[in-house]
Amino acid sequence: MTGPVLAHEMGLSRRLLPAPAIPTPGLLVGGMVGLLAVAVLGLVGAGIAQEHAAPAQRLLAPGAIGHPLGTDQLGRDVLARTLAGFRWSLVVVLPATLIAGLAGTGLGLAAAASWGWTRVILERATETAAGFPFLVLAAPIVALAGRGYWPLLIVLAILASAPFALAVFDTTWRGRGRTPVADALNALPTALPVVGAFIVADLVVTEACLSFLGVGAPEVAPSWGNMLADARQNVSAAPWILYAPAAALLLTVLSANWFGEGLGQLWRVKTR
Amino acid sequence: MTVASLLFILVRLSGSPAALLAGAGASQAQVRSAHVAYGLDGPILQQYVTFVTRALRLDFGQSPAHHAAAVELVRLRLPATVLLTAAAVAATALVAVSLGVWLGLRADRPEHGWAFRLLLTGQSLPALIVGLVLVQLLGLTPATGARSSLSFTLSALTLTWWLTPRAARLTAGTVAGALRQTWVLTAKAMGATSRDLLWGHVLPNALLAALALVGVQVAFLLSATVVVEWLFGWPGVGDLLAGSLRAMDFPVVEAAMFAIAFLVFATYAMVDLVVAAVDPRLRRRPTPP
Amino acid sequence: MSTVVAEVLRLHEVRVQFPDALGRPAVALDGISLAVERGEALGIVGEPGSGKTLVALSVLGMVPAPGEVSGSIRLLGHELVGMVEPEWWRVRGRDVAMIFPDARRSLNPIRSVGSQIEEAVHRHYEGYPHAMTRRWVRERTLEALAWAGVSRPRQRFGDYPHQLSGDLRQRVMLALAGANRPPLFVADEPTVGIGDPVQAQVMLHLLRRVLGVAALVLTTRDPGVAAAVCKRVVVIHAGRIVETGPTDRVMTTPRHPYTAELLELAPRTVPADLGRARPGCAYAPRCPNAMEQCRRLRPPLELLEDRLVACWNPWGGEHA
Repeated sequence: MTGPVLAHEMGLSRRLLPAPAIPTPGLLVGGMVGLLAVAVLGLVGAGIAQEHAAPAQRLLAPGAIGHPLGTDQLGRDVLARTLAGFRWSLVVVLPATLIAGLAGTGLGLAAAASWGWTRVILERATETAAGFPFLVLAAPIVALAGRGYWPLLIVLAILASAPFALAVFDTTWRGRGRTPVADALNALPTALPVVGAFIVADLVVTEACLSFLGVGAPEVAPSWGNMLADARQNVSAAPWILYAPAAALLLTVLSANWFGEGLGQLWRVKTR
Repeated sequence: MTVASLLFILVRLSGSPAALLAGAGASQAQVRSAHVAYGLDGPILQQYVTFVTRALRLDFGQSPAHHAAAVELVRLRLPATVLLTAAAVAATALVAVSLGVWLGLRADRPEHGWAFRLLLTGQSLPALIVGLVLVQLLGLTPATGARSSLSFTLSALTLTWWLTPRAARLTAGTVAGALRQTWVLTAKAMGATSRDLLWGHVLPNALLAALALVGVQVAFLLSATVVVEWLFGWPGVGDLLAGSLRAMDFPVVEAAMFAIAFLVFATYAMVDLVVAAVDPRLRRRPTPP
Repeated sequence: MSTVVAEVLRLHEVRVQFPDALGRPAVALDGISLAVERGEALGIVGEPGSGKTLVALSVLGMVPAPGEVSGSIRLLGHELVGMVEPEWWRVRGRDVAMIFPDARRSLNPIRSVGSQIEEAVHRHYEGYPHAMTRRWVRERTLEALAWAGVSRPRQRFGDYPHQLSGDLRQRVMLALAGANRPPLFVADEPTVGIGDPVQAQVMLHLLRRVLGVAALVLTTRDPGVAAAVCKRVVVIHAGRIVETGPTDRVMTTPRHPYTAELLELAPRTVPADLGRARPGCAYAPRCPNAMEQCRRLRPPLELLEDRLVACWNPWGGEHA
């Protein structure tokens, strides 16, 4: 996988994420607001889920008393489950991202510090791993391990290490010239949160997709993926099951992406 | 190859590989015969060698659910996925490139920031959600599918929706980057008109760089393809993978994974070929300065 | 535009302003006047940020976007200030050509060097019937390469920039600039980016070639470069000319304290602060010769012995 030299010259990370630094104000703030909302909802979600644990009447349409967004086919309140979903997503994705970040940074630094054949092999391996679609790799592994919190967490963490490692490698190695260690390490604190934000967005989507396909979160877990699967099953009977989790998923992903992009622009602008 | 090896490790680790490979609900006799057939009674290294050789011969065993060779199932479905992906890429190329170039040329004007924000937002819409919304809007029951043009159109549409913002952003980035390059200034200083500059110096370089970057996105597209195919019932390899995962049909899982991995690497290889063909620096050894 | 006149370029009170962060105008070039004749090389010497590159860019109409150019720039008698972009397309590359520094980045890496020169020739070709065009363009390109000292031009034609040595690349840049035989060459910092001193010498040698056919304006931060190529020199500081005269005289006996500093005959204190229009001499904060008057009144460019100096208290003068 030869790197495209042209892209490199134009200052674009040839293998990774954020593309153009077209100055776009408002992303950072918007992203932060969104993430704040997500965090708050996550905290709130835990409490509410407890309150509404008791199953109510099935397939209630929205607007019913006590169930503003209706209930699903098992009688669970949609709103409550969606809010609980915030907590679920955060609890899965954040630790996974942190672990991946640590592992990836270690790997990336190791790769950058090595030389000769070792480096070439490590670099190629990281490139390949990061260039492979997450879902396709994750799905069978999780399926094998069985549905559950821990398999999901571990698999996501391992997979997400690759992009981190690649980013760290690119930042510290810088193509042909060798930047001094101090400079390289200085560049990391700006690069990592940006990468992290995008990884969070990706992982949230991946988790949802995995659960949707039935190989991620356990059946009872309040994953949005599960809810979306339920929505799919009951398209005709209960179309309202779709909206809340979809909106929640959207909010989370959007905020993370905006935040990552905004942060990336801010710091790239500073270092230019 | 790496993917296959990874799978191998995991299947073995799961404790009772024979049972898995034979499929859920197999009888004891079937499990025992599978045990022998898959060579599970030998030492682990031998198993690996057997596995690799079999994989190279594209022999992934029998699917217990479908009672057919796993590789056959994949073979039947591969063209469908390729068709879908090609269609999505073609549609994206039309839209995203024009959009990206337009945006890239105006990259220094902040009043176009809204377009960029819009693209980022579009990119944040998971294919899953878009697909589900479509399903909802059109009231499709899970039974729709199997080569209907509707499922194809919807799948292609959803995938195009997924790929376009990413491709447009990348193209805008490369165009904006190309505009800043010194050789553009040189050409301008020699009297090149804006048109000369655009077609002679900016676009060739920008699009070439964009191609390489978009290639990566196409590889990621395959992830979305799995979900989308399954959602709309388009009978491709992704759908097969999804189905076989739910049914724990591992020979098929292995075969499907292999196929998808193949597609991923094929994409990268194609892109690399094109880039190497056009960029003279990658073509020949540079004469020593 | 091709009548044979002695004077090729004349700048008169050229000012370049940029709006600063708050929209107020910041003056980058403050009343530059100079003239260059055919066969003559004029050096513009100053530290980075002094505005010399802007002088070069203004002659090519390539001052970056928010900048505004006022005053008069006459190229072969034709006024350049106020021209719109399509008019510039006829001038650039034909009546004036720029030689950029850093040849490695200044050529499109995915196109052959020959095709890039041909592009410039083709843009400005005049008069030949269509069937002859391609051959004529090709001939001109090869001539240009030969003139620049590129050996075996036919083979080099199809080469790509990365295949050429640094020396060859410089020659290609020169060939590109000279392809249409412009009466004026502008070389902006031609030795910056050339690490090897031998190659730097080559570059300077190439520039001297130019003088056989045209006029040359050369900007540099290194007085030695100017001394090697130019008969006359202009010393620029903070957007203003502080001294100008015959190179050998200015270099051996500088009269402006800044010139002395550039030649390292005087200590350096604080870097220049551009942009703010100050009442007095721009160099006053750093000047070892500074008097009270210098901070209040801007010294005009006046004849002093064999050159022009803008200083109330020239170096080596009566007040020193």
